Amino acid sequence: MKRPISLTYRLTLFFSIAATVVFLAFGWLIERSINEHFAQEDIKELKVIAQAVERALTTRHTNFNQPNSIQQRLDDILIGHHGPLLYIKTPAGEILYRSPGPDLSSITASQNDIQRWRDDHHSYRILTQRFPATNGGNYHVIIAVAIDFHLHFIQEFRHTLWLMVILGIIIMSALSWIAVQQGHRPLRNIVQQISQTRASQLNTRLNPDIVPAELTELAHTFNELLQRMEEAFNRLSNFSADIAHELRTPVTNLMTQTQVALSQARNIEEYQEILYSNIEEYERMAQMIGDMLFLAKADNNLSPLNTEKIDLRAELLNLFDYYEAWAEECRISLRLEGDSHIQGDRLMLRRAFSNLLSNAIRHTPTEQAVAVQLEHSENETIIQVKNPGTAIPDEHLTKLFDRFYRIDPSRQRNGEGAGLGLAIVKSIIEAHGGTIQAHSNQQQTTFRITLPNTSTARNH
Amino acid sequence: MTDAVDYPIRMKILIVEDEIKTGEYLKQGLGEAGFIVDLAHNGLDGHHLAMTGDYDLMILDIMLPDVDGWRILKSLREAGKDVPVLFLTARDSVDDRVKGLELGADDYLVKPFAFAELLARVRTLLRRSSVPATEMSLRVADLELDLARHRASRNGKRIHLTAKEFSLLELLVRRQGEVLPRSLIASQVWDMNFDSDTNVIDVAIRRLRGKIDDDFELKLIQTVRGMGYMIDTPDSSG
Repeated sequence: MKRPISLTYRLTLFFSIAATVVFLAFGWLIERSINEHFAQEDIKELKVIAQAVERALTTRHTNFNQPNSIQQRLDDILIGHHGPLLYIKTPAGEILYRSPGPDLSSITASQNDIQRWRDDHHSYRILTQRFPATNGGNYHVIIAVAIDFHLHFIQEFRHTLWLMVILGIIIMSALSWIAVQQGHRPLRNIVQQISQTRASQLNTRLNPDIVPAELTELAHTFNELLQRMEEAFNRLSNFSADIAHELRTPVTNLMTQTQVALSQARNIEEYQEILYSNIEEYERMAQMIGDMLFLAKADNNLSPLNTEKIDLRAELLNLFDYYEAWAEECRISLRLEGDSHIQGDRLMLRRAFSNLLSNAIRHTPTEQAVAVQLEHSENETIIQVKNPGTAIPDEHLTKLFDRFYRIDPSRQRNGEGAGLGLAIVKSIIEAHGGTIQAHSNQQQTTFRITLPNTSTARNH
Repeated sequence: MTDAVDYPIRMKILIVEDEIKTGEYLKQGLGEAGFIVDLAHNGLDGHHLAMTGDYDLMILDIMLPDVDGWRILKSLREAGKDVPVLFLTARDSVDDRVKGLELGADDYLVKPFAFAELLARVRTLLRRSSVPATEMSLRVADLELDLARHRASRNGKRIHLTAKEFSLLELLVRRQGEVLPRSLIASQVWDMNFDSDTNVIDVAIRRLRGKIDDDFELKLIQTVRGMGYMIDTPDSSG
């Protein structure tokens, strides 16, 4: 997969484009309004001249005593304006006035028309007008003002403006790059904090209150991840500590026994006795390792369930068959009530029920009965394994399913296994999406398993 | 210990195991059980021996320092060698098992395993590659089993057994002279394929003894301490 463009590059690019668009629009607007402004000025000037010319023309025939005065007056009007030109034709077609300089006679235009015009050297804005003469007809008047200095100013201004626009864009881009870098600082801080988290300090948490609002979600999520990791890690290290502890006892026994045996010469029977005793320890250890492997795999979802339909009644009767001889030997009877079918992994569930049954038989007083009850409703199946016996105190009940937990530590050596049996039961039931609880009163102890009928999905 | 089996020719077994102690003890144990055993400590030697020698069974460790067991197995099968292979693994993962069996292994054992278990599996594999058993009745000394009618008798005298007791006795008789570990008995008779921390098998054997041995001079069922049980008669050993 292609790597996405870096955030810094992306944001800087976006800000730069935005700044360019804004500056360009701005520059264009300013240039346009200055142009407009000068045009208005020119027009105003042209209009002023036009009014003065009109006045002079309308009063032309009232001052007969000054035949040349019209020339004079028109000359006066033009004084004080920017390079003005004036061209007037009488209704009869004679040229009444013509300023020195460029010839305006060639310009044709309609009434009240304003246009730009350029001769070889200068630019002009021109107004063409017709004024009615007193004796009929129209004066044809063309007025021009030079706009060279305006154009020059605009040219200069445009240079400065675009230089500023380009500079602005560059500065904005640089600033946005800095801003993005600054804006990412909390992110880098968090990354740094996260990178400093070691397996030994999984209890550290990011403080969601000191990160920007956008990152609180990230901080929370990361904290939850840490939480889950810490729990798993603790479970694992406790488990390892337990394993070390549990293995220490048999290894100590083996070492002591072997060293004592070797400390002096013995006869063959004694050596054999020691080897037999060793085998028992080895078998205990091998079974513990097997059980721990099973639990480790179940915890890490490494054992996929081979789900099939199981006739629970038949399965339990088969187990009763297996335990029958032992139970009879202990003078304990086994009873089964109810009937149910379930979807599950046959071998795993058989192991779970087997562990529960052997546990129940072991704790039942002689001449009494272990009872298994099967019930099912629409959604779930309930399996209860009940055995009479002394009450288990509450503080032990919740820990019964912990690994290596024994109510009475001294009973460890009485063939009860490593204390992993019920932990395995719980692990198997949970792998099937079910739950298991233990209840105990003065009369009996009950293990109650609830398994969903349909889904066998793992819930962790 | 009387644990020799009356196979017509002595079977040859190749062990490929890099762990020196394990290898030596396996060799000693299988040798004392009546097999001719060759031992290779690494994959290359093992492969060479397997390709050139004529073995009846191969015990193959998966984790070897040079060539792993799977590659050896694959290469053997590709070369057309169909010697039965029992593989040993320290990692009991389903993937390993499936991979091994797909590649053509015949059985597997997870370390740590009981030697009696290994011996029983080896014999099962060797038997599988020879003639299948289709007898209608089995006999050890004066004990006779009628397989069709599920009846047992000693010295002509009918012995009443439950169905499971009969299955247990049949297993012991079929494999007379072999020590059967408790786990194998639980798995074959009751289909319980996991170690139990109870003495269920011991109790079952004790009850079976009560029915077939207690009233007779010649005791057939023997306890092999630390290993398991077997049926054996003094005259069949040697």
